[in-house]
Amino acid sequence: MSSPFESYDDLEDADERLQAADPAERRVAIIALGHSGDPAAVAHLANMVADPDAGVRQQVAMALGEFDGPEAASALVKLLVDPERIVAAAAADSMAEFKDPACAAIILPLVKHAHAFVRMGALRALKELRCKDTLKPALEALQDSDAAVRVQAIGVIGFLKLEESIPALTALINDPDAHVRRAAVSALAFSHMKPAAETITRALRDSDWMVREMAAETLGLNANGSLAADQLIGSLGDAFWQVRLKAIRSLGKMKIERAVRPIGNCINHDQANLRKEAAAALGEIAHPDGEAFLAVIADDLDPDVRKNARWALQQIAARKARAGA
Amino acid sequence: MPLASYQTSVPVVVDDAKCIADKGCTVCVDVCPLDVLRISDMTKKAYMAYDECWYCMPCEADCPTGAVTVNIPYLLR
Repeated sequence: MSSPFESYDDLEDADERLQAADPAERRVAIIALGHSGDPAAVAHLANMVADPDAGVRQQVAMALGEFDGPEAASALVKLLVDPERIVAAAAADSMAEFKDPACAAIILPLVKHAHAFVRMGALRALKELRCKDTLKPALEALQDSDAAVRVQAIGVIGFLKLEESIPALTALINDPDAHVRRAAVSALAFSHMKPAAETITRALRDSDWMVREMAAETLGLNANGSLAADQLIGSLGDAFWQVRLKAIRSLGKMKIERAVRPIGNCINHDQANLRKEAAAALGEIAHPDGEAFLAVIADDLDPDVRKNARWALQQIAARKARAGA
Repeated sequence: MPLASYQTSVPVVVDDAKCIADKGCTVCVDVCPLDVLRISDMTKKAYMAYDECWYCMPCEADCPTGAVTVNIPYLLR
């Protein structure tokens, strides 16, 4: 059976079906237009944003996600403020796919919309556009009463990677919402300035374990992360193994030799993931003191742990050979 | 591949009341990587013609009307 979607070469045919009395037929026509990939289909889809059926409007929002550019953005902006949540949610998802910076000017006014969902959707869409004009509204949105909006504003700022935004991101480390603090810590990763590393280091003592986990991971990505090596070693005693795992990974990446023993002490942990990470970190550091710890897991029940232990021992042997030569 | 000659339970269940295959929709048939879904010549609705599901889920996720349900076996959840 051939797909009816394949017979939609002629947009006039699609237009006829878009006027069908049955909403299901209109939906099928919209799906076809979305699948066509033809930029001319955007205008036809834009004409359907006021369809009386919410399911049809939802389909229009989804189909517009297949396109990019100001014309599709203008149509999706109307659907993002739709009173039906399913329509607005589909529009937010589609807008997040935009890559054309020209869409930013159309989306920006929605950052001030009365509804938090619309503000959040607009900021989410602006993130990947990486348009410098979005910095000021995103910085203002950091004061939004809705935590989800603040998280998306952090995303916009994080994608722009501008050092001038560091003070605003640093201030969020005291935000009452843990998701906001976590996003702020993550966004600070791009900065090569000392204040960012200091702020991330402070987050290692956050009351929420997910913020501490993000801080431990982010320090491994930050250029000044090694300044916090002692604090990361301290995080190896965190109550949550997830935090310990990220701390081990970061210490391994930074090749902190004084961390060999504290990492080695984690080698017998019940979580295979932690043992695997500890083995990999000992291999990254490649200090001969790691051998004794790696011998403990040479016959580990988990094959990935054994594999990492073997690799780590090879790294240590190679380092010894280089030192001998 | 053997075909069941009697009614049986299959992993992919289509709600005929929601399915709009009779209007020309073939999304679930198009996205199935194993090509196990068909549009019935009798009912004009989608159904699972071959019980060879991988539980990959696009048929359920992409169905525009939410008519498709994939029943994942307990041990795979």
